[in-house]
Amino acid sequence: MELAAYESRSPVHDLELITRVVAGDAAAEREMYDTYVDRIYRLAFRLAGDEDLARDFTQATFIRAFEKIGSFRGESSLSTWLHSIGVSVALNGLRKTKRLKNRELPIEEGLTVGSTRIEAEPDLKERMAKAIESLSEKYRMVFLMHDVEGYTHEEISGTLRIPVGTSKSHLFQARSKLRVALADFAPEWVS
Amino acid sequence: MSDEKFEQFLKSAAQSYNAPPVRVPREEMWDAIKAERSAGPRVVYGGVSHVQTEKRFGTKIWWAAAAALLLVASGIGIGRWTASPGTNVVTAPPAPAAPVQKLASDSMRPDGPRPPGTEVAIGVPSGAEAPSRVEQGSRATPVDRSREQRMVATTPAPDTRASGERPIPPGRTPPRGATSSAYEMVQVNHLSEAEAMLTSFRTRLPSDQQQDARLAAWARDLLSKTRLLLDSPVAEDPQRRPLLQDLELLLVQIVQLSPGSTPQDREIVERTLEQDNLMTKLRTAIPAGQQGS
Repeated sequence: MELAAYESRSPVHDLELITRVVAGDAAAEREMYDTYVDRIYRLAFRLAGDEDLARDFTQATFIRAFEKIGSFRGESSLSTWLHSIGVSVALNGLRKTKRLKNRELPIEEGLTVGSTRIEAEPDLKERMAKAIESLSEKYRMVFLMHDVEGYTHEEISGTLRIPVGTSKSHLFQARSKLRVALADFAPEWVS
Repeated sequence: MSDEKFEQFLKSAAQSYNAPPVRVPREEMWDAIKAERSAGPRVVYGGVSHVQTEKRFGTKIWWAAAAALLLVASGIGIGRWTASPGTNVVTAPPAPAAPVQKLASDSMRPDGPRPPGTEVAIGVPSGAEAPSRVEQGSRATPVDRSREQRMVATTPAPDTRASGERPIPPGRTPPRGATSSAYEMVQVNHLSEAEAMLTSFRTRLPSDQQQDARLAAWARDLLSKTRLLLDSPVAEDPQRRPLLQDLELLLVQIVQLSPGSTPQDREIVERTLEQDNLMTKLRTAIPAGQQGS
């Protein structure tokens, strides 16, 4: 229902909504939130892979959007503008989290010392996850947005502020790397 | 064809990667957003809120800047008021003003007659053993200083008509620039004299005991002046103070050399002279044209 509401948005509707939000209309704020929260949350979850982080990123995205909506000039659609905030918040948050995890890693490694771990044959899900995480940030972003969440190259271009051609190129590179990484599961597609 | 198949496989398989839950926690997140915004700064859309302005610049900074400005202004005011020649000074004038003039005249004629009463202000009579710094410091009690100040106040002002300067009436502070230049002159003369003495010391004959005695007396005289300068504003200069301290140490060693001292004792003094590079430092400190004066 919510995604349908998002898809039925028109630029005129967005402009009217922004005007009301800027005027301090609480109902308009809630309407804007309801319209876009699902997509923002889904993307945040795809990037973070953690419910708490996804919540934090989504909340931070809307807080920042409400604070800065007065400076929104309408150069892009409201959706693109919100998503660019969301991606920025999520990537910055993940970098911080990654730094913290890296600091904690030696302790976790220390706990496994001396134990005999029997590695199970990784199934497709695990291999896929590892392959996607091994992609560089720019390739992973484009791949997740396009192939997983169904964003168009135009939307990706506006959100990540890269040309459409670059978005396509990144997607091609990401797929190529994944094809090599997942060759065990699909040998017939590896040329 | 195979590319399309692979893409489809990839898209379907990738759906399992970080799959979001079916239910989006909308209400929980909305409540958190509301709570966060109500706790944070109030935002005025399309403008800048007062809270943000204060946060950005900080009212404390303005208060601190105003206090600093007031402090600087009052400092300048006090400085000008005290440095002004026509300003009446209620408190007694600082002691160094008169000794400087006396020292200047002394250093120009070390063996000449001293004006009566100046022995107390200058310190050590010629030919007497110089007291240690500790003794001198302990003698400089407030009572002595006030006496010294009274002496300075009652000392007739030097005749400055020839130089065109305004005479400083008793009870008034001399201009700061005049005082510092007087100290500077005394210091330069003193360092020149010290250089001459040390040169004589280095070129003396080892067997000449009379010359040793003369050098010891000369060093004693210089030692007392060095100590006076160490207690004067000249020693506030971070470059000059170490030089004067090194000179003081060396002069003490020379003074302690008795006529019957061994060559080893003299060697120690010479080694100190070499190690401290004192001659070089003295020559550097003395402006060109002043050497040997």
